[in-house]
Amino acid sequence: MTKRTGFWTLLAVLLPFLILVLSLAIGSYRIPPKELVHTVAGLISPSRHPDLAPAFKDILLHIRLPRLLLALMIGASLSLSGASLQALFKNPLVNEYILGISSGAGFGAALSLVLAGRGFPPQVAAFGFALLAVAAVLAIAGRSESSVVPILLTGVVVAAFFQALLALVVYFASPYALQTLFFWLMGNLALATWRDVVLAGPVMLAGSACLFLLRWRLNVLSMSETEARSLGVHVRREKILVILAATLASAAATSVAGIIGWVGLIGPHLVRMAVGADNRKVIPLAASCGACFLLLADDAARMIMSFEIPVGIFTSILGIPVFVYLLAKTKKVWL
Amino acid sequence: MNEIRRKAAGSAVWLAALLLVPPTAAPAGQGSRTVIDSLGRTVAVPARAERILSLQPELSRILVALGAGERLVGVDYFLRRFDHVIPLVFPKAFELPLVSRVGEDVNLELVLKLNPDIIFVSPSEAWLADSLQRKVPAPVAAFSSLGRFESLFQEMDLIGNLIGRRDRAAELVHFARAELRAIGNRLVGLDPGGRPRVYLAFYSSLLRTNTSYEPVTASGGLNVAGTILPFALGTKEAAVNIEQILSWDPDLILIQGNFLPAERAVTVESVLGDIRLRSLRAARDRRVAYTFGFWYWWDPAQVLLETRYLARLFYPRLFADFDFEAEGNRLYRAFYGADGVFSSISKTLKCEEWILD
Repeated sequence: MTKRTGFWTLLAVLLPFLILVLSLAIGSYRIPPKELVHTVAGLISPSRHPDLAPAFKDILLHIRLPRLLLALMIGASLSLSGASLQALFKNPLVNEYILGISSGAGFGAALSLVLAGRGFPPQVAAFGFALLAVAAVLAIAGRSESSVVPILLTGVVVAAFFQALLALVVYFASPYALQTLFFWLMGNLALATWRDVVLAGPVMLAGSACLFLLRWRLNVLSMSETEARSLGVHVRREKILVILAATLASAAATSVAGIIGWVGLIGPHLVRMAVGADNRKVIPLAASCGACFLLLADDAARMIMSFEIPVGIFTSILGIPVFVYLLAKTKKVWL
Repeated sequence: MNEIRRKAAGSAVWLAALLLVPPTAAPAGQGSRTVIDSLGRTVAVPARAERILSLQPELSRILVALGAGERLVGVDYFLRRFDHVIPLVFPKAFELPLVSRVGEDVNLELVLKLNPDIIFVSPSEAWLADSLQRKVPAPVAAFSSLGRFESLFQEMDLIGNLIGRRDRAAELVHFARAELRAIGNRLVGLDPGGRPRVYLAFYSSLLRTNTSYEPVTASGGLNVAGTILPFALGTKEAAVNIEQILSWDPDLILIQGNFLPAERAVTVESVLGDIRLRSLRAARDRRVAYTFGFWYWWDPAQVLLETRYLARLFYPRLFADFDFEAEGNRLYRAFYGADGVFSSISKTLKCEEWILD
């Protein structure tokens, strides 16, 4: 590893955490800088700072920190999943939508929010139906999993099916329950809790770790199938493994924050623009880039207006022009 | 619904046109007058309407309260599926044709077949009134109280005139004003600075609120969200974040309780058990309670009961004689002429658990 590579690697690892720490200072409840430092110090070493203001402590520990940690993990997971699926399907526009993950999660959340009230947590329902959607895609695609086209087409069909089911639930919902659902569908981190971090975090980490370990294989899988086989790769098995890992990571992310678009496209494309298509570099850097992107978008969502704006709106507002710029500037796709 | 309300901004003047109403009712089809609806549209309404299609639950309730439920020729999905009072006071509504779900999907052929003299829609579906008006011969008017008592009374006047029951409408408006006045009289002399500061968690979310809610102010409370801007001009709805609630540190948190208990996404227990809110004065003092809130705008009896109930919550000593069930039954009887209506609603919504000790 050269010095230059080492520097960029270190930056990629540290930058999301640096943004996270700086983001602790952002919020509509004003905490003076001195108090902020004092409270952070108190959280690290409670015995030395027993006089923490309860409100400051709760805001930092129970509101901002879980929210920022979730933003970091969700951004990394969505970007990592997007990069992996794009490499696998050799298609630069693939993300979690294409396998029906978002539609399945949306339908699950709708069922829970509109019909079950508090009877069934929307996070669990969203995760369950996201997995069900991908399972349906793989089952319908059947033996042709080794070929990407049937999986993509089946994904479109399954996504459309769950969209129709979602529309059906929405159609018969109370307009008041619908408003909660609409906020969920727009992607929101406003109600993030430690419970979300504890429940969804390990699943996101497991899926992401699996994709990180498979980054070498993704280079092989992104070749033609004949070439991949000639290199001794069990194409069908490896593809299903990548799909399942990406599903775990992105379904867990979607289940706790709703549908946050564009993170799975922007992160990987920015990284490929900088370092090329080598998935050994793209995968870890995409995770870092996605985490930074979502942390900054969430900061903007919290700062810009007096009221809370769903972060999914910001990722779209920021993501679409960035994506258009990238397309116009590069006029090519790295895969 | 938000967009609807936004479009309805500045439409409070529509009632002025009521002054043009002739003192005696004319048969349907004979003569008409113009009114300005909640969207600011000028609508020529018949002097008398015998067949009314109301796709706006608030107006349907007023029609029933005025004893003219039989003139309804069709209903919307909300009234049939979610309303609390209509099943109890006018069950015949369930035999009427279902014309739309929430307005976006009106069955036009059915509307034409029903041949109404006038169609009421909610200003919440801002485009619906004009869209419908282009396709059906009956006048289409978009009315709602928009959460204002005066607008509610004006609606009652309008409907009373339209169905030839001005006296009954005037009686109910007089009754409602007297109720509000009675509450206000008990609050006279209180220190304005001592008003309880209230946060409203409405619309199935802890983070959705109203920047203005008249029952709170009429009962002597202060809405902490009154200082922020709503989503957009013309709406009273806003989304906040938890830090904002913490910075307001309200004395009391009110949760929209019109949802069936099993369908409540936010509950008193969930707020009290939320570790992020534990430093709030309201949470520490366990001052978290349900209130009714909008239910496709208002039920006139319910909003009066809500105002009195809130006054009891805010000033327990001044309203120590408040008996939720008895008051509710009295108000519902005054509007709908039936006994025990609120007892039944209270059983459904579990209102007996709402009062804080």
